[in-house]
Amino acid sequence: MIRLTHIYQLLGKNFVRQRLLSKASSPVMQHFLSKAFPDKKKFIDEVVIVSLDIETTGLDPDKDKIVSIGLVEIRHLGIKLQSCWHQIIQTKKNIPEQSIVIHQITDDQIKTGISIEQAMPLLLEHLKGKVMLVHNAKLELGFINKICQVLYASDFVIPVIDTQALARRSLDRRNSAYNTSDLRLFNLRCARHMPAYKAHNALMDAIATAELFLAMLNDIVPRCEMDKGKARLADFLS
Amino acid sequence: MEIELLEIRNFIKRCSPFDVLDDFVLDTLPEKLTIRYFRRGHTFPEINTQEKSLYIIRSGAIEFRDQAGLLNDKLAEGDIFSQQCIVDSSESGIAVEDTLVYLLPCELLAQLRKNADVFNRHFNRSINERLRDAVKHTHAENMRDLSAMKLEVSGLTDRLPVIVDQATSIQQAAKIMTKEQVSAILVTFDNQLCGILTDRDIRSRCVAEAIALEQPVSLIMSTDLKTVKDTTLLSEALLAMTRKQVQHLPVLKNNAPVGILTTADVVRHLSTSPALIATDIGKAISLQALERISTRLPELQLQLSLSSATAKHIGEVIASITDAITCRLLELAEARYGAPPVKYVWAAGGSQARNEQTSHSDQDNALIISDEFKPEHAAYFKSLTQFVSDGLNACGYVYCPGNAMATNPQWCQPLSVWQQTFGRWINSPEPKALMLSSIFFDLRAVYGDFSLLDKLQHSVLKRTKDSQLFISLMVANALTHQPPLGFFRNFVLVQDATHKNTLNLKQRGIIPIVDIARVLALKTGISAISTVDRLNAAFESEALSAEMRDNLLDALEFIGSLRIRHQAEQIRTGVGVDNYVSPGELSGLEKSHLKDSFAIIKTMQQFFESRYSSA
Repeated sequence: MIRLTHIYQLLGKNFVRQRLLSKASSPVMQHFLSKAFPDKKKFIDEVVIVSLDIETTGLDPDKDKIVSIGLVEIRHLGIKLQSCWHQIIQTKKNIPEQSIVIHQITDDQIKTGISIEQAMPLLLEHLKGKVMLVHNAKLELGFINKICQVLYASDFVIPVIDTQALARRSLDRRNSAYNTSDLRLFNLRCARHMPAYKAHNALMDAIATAELFLAMLNDIVPRCEMDKGKARLADFLS
Repeated sequence: MEIELLEIRNFIKRCSPFDVLDDFVLDTLPEKLTIRYFRRGHTFPEINTQEKSLYIIRSGAIEFRDQAGLLNDKLAEGDIFSQQCIVDSSESGIAVEDTLVYLLPCELLAQLRKNADVFNRHFNRSINERLRDAVKHTHAENMRDLSAMKLEVSGLTDRLPVIVDQATSIQQAAKIMTKEQVSAILVTFDNQLCGILTDRDIRSRCVAEAIALEQPVSLIMSTDLKTVKDTTLLSEALLAMTRKQVQHLPVLKNNAPVGILTTADVVRHLSTSPALIATDIGKAISLQALERISTRLPELQLQLSLSSATAKHIGEVIASITDAITCRLLELAEARYGAPPVKYVWAAGGSQARNEQTSHSDQDNALIISDEFKPEHAAYFKSLTQFVSDGLNACGYVYCPGNAMATNPQWCQPLSVWQQTFGRWINSPEPKALMLSSIFFDLRAVYGDFSLLDKLQHSVLKRTKDSQLFISLMVANALTHQPPLGFFRNFVLVQDATHKNTLNLKQRGIIPIVDIARVLALKTGISAISTVDRLNAAFESEALSAEMRDNLLDALEFIGSLRIRHQAEQIRTGVGVDNYVSPGELSGLEKSHLKDSFAIIKTMQQFFESRYSSA
C-alpha cells in the first residue's frame, strides 16, 4: 500500500511541511511548521544543522518514554557548544534498571526535569527551520512523531541527516562486509580514531554524532575536500 | 556549564597552560568552544577563518614545515596552537592524521589572560620573557617538590629516647645520662610525657642554684615542651629549634616518644655542606679516606638542589670539591714519590674546568710541565699521574673513555710541546682531531704552578683569534649537537621526525650552549672558562648582543635546573645518575619552556652558521 506521506516525501520536506501546516490546529505545531526548511540545493556549510540525541526508557514509542534530550548546532561546519541544550524529562513511570545503567540518569534526577508537554515546544523551537542530524534516526523520529500526534494531533516533519545511514551507504558503495554493530556510534568513531567519550548522555552523544558527521563529510564528498562548499545538503539527506 | 560537558572541561584542564586556571573559570569555557574537524592532508587552520581562535588539539596530529620542507613543529592531543591570537601570523600546517580541535575565540583568550597572571605569562610575546620567568620560578618549585618527599626527622634520630619518671632524683638521672651517654632525657608522669631534662638544666637550675641532688627531676626539668612529629620535615624542626632556642626536640610517633632530635643530629646531617666536605678532604690521610668522603658527593648535590640552589651554583660547588680531591691526591702522590723534579701544573678539563660539574662525571685532565723537563723525569710524572688518575677513578670520577687524561703521554707534556700541539690544531685543523681536542680548550689550573697554564692559554688565544679556518671548523663542530624541536605526544621531536623516548639534556641542551660559548671565547680571545663567564665576556667585547646573552643564559640555567632535578630524584631513589629525561617526567609547562630553550639554541646556531662557518 502506498501511503500518502511516502508521496509527500518524494515531493520534499517543505511540501510536506506546508500540507501539515495547512491542517495544523495546535499553535505550537503551527509555529514550528511556519518556517521553511533549508533548500536541498544549499551548500552544506551554509545550512544550520541540529545534532540531536534522545535517551528513552525503551525502544517502543507507544509504551516507552523519553527521559532526556540533548542537542547542539553545527554552523559553518563548526560545532557550536554555545548552542548546547540538555533537558531531563520527568516521567510518571519509573525507569527500568537497565536504562539507568545506560543513561546514568536516576529517578532522583528525573524529578528535577520538566514534563514532556513543557519540553516539546522548547525542542521544536530548537529544530524550527533547520536540518536534524541523528545517529539512527528511526528511534528519534518515532518518538517525536508519536508525541506530536498525541499532543498536537499532527505528524512531525524535518529534513534528516542520519550518520548511521551515511555510514551504511559508504560501506555498501565500497562493497565491504560489515556487522550491524560496526554501525554503532561508538564503533564508527573508534574506527576513525576519534576520542572515546566516557560519558553517555544525550548531550555528549549529540556532540559525538556531530563530530562523526564532520569526519564523514569528507568521505561522502572526497573530491570536494579542499572546497567543502561544493557539497550540497541533498548529498546527505536520508 | 551543562554538567554533561564535564568531559570536555576536564580535557581542557589537562592542557597546559589551562591547567593553571581556577575551576570556576574552566567551568565557563566549554560552552564558548567550537569543535572543528580537519581531515588528514587538509591545511590547518582554515585558510579563510572569519574569527581568529586559539586551537586546542583534541585528537589527531598537525605538522608544521618551513619553506624548505623541514619539520618545524608537530602538535598532538593536548597541544595548543595560539598563533592567531598572539601574533598576526598566517602560519599554517597540515593535518597528518584526522584531527579534531576545540576553537576558543581570541577575544575570550584575551579576557582569560587579563584575569590570570600565571596563565597570561605563558602567552608572553617573546620566548625570552617566558623563559626568564620560568627560570625565576623553577627553583621555588624544585624545593617544594623534593623537600616534601624525604627529609623527615624520623630518619635523623638514631636511638630511642631515655625516659625516667618525674620522681627520679636528680643524681640518679645524671647517672643514667652519663651511663647512656646522652645530653637529654625525657621525664614522664604516669607514663605521660611531662618534661625534658638536659645537661644545661642540671648546670643552670641545679648546680648553680644549689638544689639538693636528692630532689626529684621534676623540680628542674623543662616543662614547656616543644615536640615534633616523626613526619616533621627537617627544615621545620630546625626552625622550631631556632625559634624556641632549644637544642633538644622530643620526636613523637602516634603520641609516643621515639627519639630526641638534637642540634648535633642536625649538624651531622648538614655535614654534607661543601665547606665541611672540603675540610675533611684536606685532612684525609689515605686514598681510602678520600674514597669514603667522595661517596657523600651525590648527597651533597641532592642537598644543594633541595635548598633550591641554581644549576650554576651546584656546578661550581661540585667542581670545587673535585678540585679539593684532586689537590689532595696530588699532595699524597708527592708525599709518596717525592717532590717534583721540575715545576708542573695539573689542569682540569671539561665540565670540571668550566665549573659546571655534576657529581661523579668522567675525569678529563692534563699535565703541563715546565720546559726544564728532561727525559729522565718522565718516570716520575708517569707515576704521579697514574696515582692521581687511579685515585680519581676510585673516588667515582671514572676514566675518560676518550683517554683525555694526564696519564696519556700525549696529554702530559712540557709547555713548549703543548704550545706546538695547540699550534698544529689551530693552524692546520682537522675536523675530527678538533672534535676530540675541543675538550682542551677548556682547561683550568687546579694544582701546581698556575703560571704554566696561563702562558699556554695566552699563546693559544692569541692564535685562535685570527685563524678563520680554525674558527669556522669549531663552529661546524659546535653545530653537531642540534637541539630537538620539542615534544610530540610522549616523544622527543627531532628534525628528521623520528621520535625518541628520552631526551639527553646534556648533549642536546647544555653542550650546544657550551660549544657556542667556547667558540666565542676563542674567537674574541676571552680567557674565561665557565660558560656563563664566557657569554658575559662575549657580550662585553660586543661579540654577542645583550638579548642573545640573556637568552642563552636563561636557556642554560633552565635546562641545567631540570637536569639537576632529574638527578636529584635519581640520587634520592638510589639509581645511577644520568642525563636522560623522558618526556613523561616533564610537566606541560616544562615541556613548553624546554621548547623555548631549544628554539633559542637553534636561533643562535643558525646565527653562528651564517656568520662564521661560511668564512
